[in-house]
Amino acid sequence: MDHFPTNWGRPRNDAFDHYNTYPIPVRPQNNAFADSVQRTQQPIVTGTSVLGLKYKDGIMIASDTLASYGSLARFKDIKRLHQVGDFTAIGASGDMSDFQALQRDLESLIISEEVTEQDGHKLGPKEIHEYLSNVLYGKRCKMDPLWNSVIVGGFKDGERFLAYVDLLGTTYTSSTIATGYGAYIAQPLLRKAVEGKEDVLTEAEARKILEDCLRVLFYRDARSLDKYQIATVNASGPSISDSIKLETSWGFAEGIRGYGAQTQ
Amino acid sequence: MFLTRSEYDRGVNTFSPEGRLFQVEYAIEAIKLGSTTVGIRTNEGVVLGVEKRVQSPLLESSSIEKIMEIDRHLGCAMSGLTADARTMVDHARVTSQNHAFTYDEHIKVESVTQAVCDLALRFGESVHDEDAMMSRPFGVALLIAGIDELGPQLYHTDPSGTFVRYSAKAIGSGSEAAQSELQDKWNSSMSLLEAQKLTLRVLKQVMEEKLDHHNVQLAQASADRPLSRRAVSY
Amino acid sequence: MPSMEHVAHPQQRAFNPYTENGGTILAIAGADFTVIAGDTRQSEGYSIQTRYAPKVFRLTDRAVLAVNGFAADGNMFVKKVKQRLEWYRHAHAKDMPLRAIARLIQTMLYAQRFFPYYVYNILGGIEDDGTGAVYSFDPVGSYEREACRAAGAAQSLVQPFLDNQIYFKNQQAAPGQTHPSHLPLPDVLSIVIDSFTSATERHIEVGDGLEMYIVLAKGRNTQGMESLHGVQELSSKLDGERVFVVRRELKKD
Repeated sequence: MDHFPTNWGRPRNDAFDHYNTYPIPVRPQNNAFADSVQRTQQPIVTGTSVLGLKYKDGIMIASDTLASYGSLARFKDIKRLHQVGDFTAIGASGDMSDFQALQRDLESLIISEEVTEQDGHKLGPKEIHEYLSNVLYGKRCKMDPLWNSVIVGGFKDGERFLAYVDLLGTTYTSSTIATGYGAYIAQPLLRKAVEGKEDVLTEAEARKILEDCLRVLFYRDARSLDKYQIATVNASGPSISDSIKLETSWGFAEGIRGYGAQTQ
Repeated sequence: MFLTRSEYDRGVNTFSPEGRLFQVEYAIEAIKLGSTTVGIRTNEGVVLGVEKRVQSPLLESSSIEKIMEIDRHLGCAMSGLTADARTMVDHARVTSQNHAFTYDEHIKVESVTQAVCDLALRFGESVHDEDAMMSRPFGVALLIAGIDELGPQLYHTDPSGTFVRYSAKAIGSGSEAAQSELQDKWNSSMSLLEAQKLTLRVLKQVMEEKLDHHNVQLAQASADRPLSRRAVSY
Repeated sequence: MPSMEHVAHPQQRAFNPYTENGGTILAIAGADFTVIAGDTRQSEGYSIQTRYAPKVFRLTDRAVLAVNGFAADGNMFVKKVKQRLEWYRHAHAKDMPLRAIARLIQTMLYAQRFFPYYVYNILGGIEDDGTGAVYSFDPVGSYEREACRAAGAAQSLVQPFLDNQIYFKNQQAAPGQTHPSHLPLPDVLSIVIDSFTSATERHIEVGDGLEMYIVLAKGRNTQGMESLHGVQELSSKLDGERVFVVRRELKKD
């Protein structure tokens, strides 16, 4: 007899999980093709850094529009920012096919929420982030990760929210977040510009900070592009810009040894 | 199609139009055929007493087991179809051990009683490949005695899965007379020894045979020794 | 012929489901109180991910859990422990006692023996008998009750200091006197704060903020906490054990 009440009324499964901590034992997967399923072992088509910050009226997320195939700049107008529901925007670096699968997943989540629209629940950025964390952590536990670092930002009930989750399920919130190369190059610049000024920075100032960071990244990150998008989420909801060309100047390059015309 | 009135006692989990589950009620009736069992709670501990019907002089009365240990601090006495109680006591023992394993503490008397009662309504048809355990309700009632951080306690369970805490309770064939005697004689300041005597006195009153050391068995759960089985046998 | 060994193998990058997120935790038991503390920095490699990610959690009015190691596992583990405590409350109509929580944590950790939660747990609080207690765990569930324990990135810096200050290792008692078996609350608080300011100086993964939880036994007054600023009480009732939290800044470099 099975003495664990939480197993009662479930299909019998003698071969598995008798004395694991209850409840919700994972049902066995009786898939004949289980051994032939390929899991993501490494990212293939990748996006580079995503940046996020809090400002006076909400949050902003920025990323360029490049999806690289190794060192090849393969797709130059890929959307790496995505609106989720009425209060949230996300941005992802890492494997773009995994991210697009995630977008589809979130889309169906939002649709199933719409079906029960009048139940008084609206998924805000906190809920989306918790959901994504569970999805990504769940996949890492199956050794089948979604190879992304995702920034989740939003504004709901008068509150700003900015958080991170990655392929391991690691999460955190912070007033500035940068993924990938941006963690090394942009994050120090962001912290200097934002920390302690979250409640005074205007939208224009915030945009300027992000553009400056993207510019530095374009100068220094070989897998980046001078075309970017910015997602803004404030009291009036999320809005994601079209692709914008980054203003760059290369005049200084002439003076850099090994870069300009000098021979020595 | 409506079933005719008398057909409602066929299906084990079909309500009658009056809102009754006949099979469960019949099971409760079955207990009244069992031998008398008594439990008395005092501040020092709980005493359980059972009558053993020794139908033949060739019967070894020591082989009649109506009081069982669930854990060191828990005991139970039964009346009715005692074979059914084995499933319940088995479940109670596993639950108790599992609790001790997981939480490094004795399970509470109420919790183990609840666990036993969780079994009670798991009868009926099984769906698909689901695992139904019983085709009918249990035909046994239990008196569960024990001591935990809330002190000595006595619980009564019946085949419907209902459980209630008592100061003193009698079940089985002589339960009506025994219960009114308990109601008369029980008081909140009884000692354990007085409870033992009262248990025997009540059993003696309702038993057809003359009470002797073959046809009655006592057990007690007390603070100094959580459960002593057959501690007193007259 | 030159050895081809270093070029012959294709580079294989297997997915590694673990990482280390730095930080340090610590707990000290007194006679009728326990202090449980942790810094709030979360890092990966040389990068600070955030300056505020709590590692210490109130479980009940008499139990506080500090979790250190892989942050994703830590957060999931705390979530599951809290869930189990809630179920226990419903099933048994009481808060789980400290030693029961300790045993539960062991069974939960050991259940993952072959894909462990990569976390070091320290559980602190008040036992049923009213004494302060600290339980420390390894990632697969080995545990013991102790008077004090440090874990995490700066364990090797802090634990020897505690051995000296709490267990009086390598200290000789004054002639005719013995070492006290328990220190008073103000002394413990000072030791905790000094441990973290020191670890912050010498370990790059420690810093930003300090969260100190103080659990007081039933009926104990708040004597010894007067010197602390910004103490916040988290107890759900006033006549049982009481839980407080204090937050302090640590250096951010």
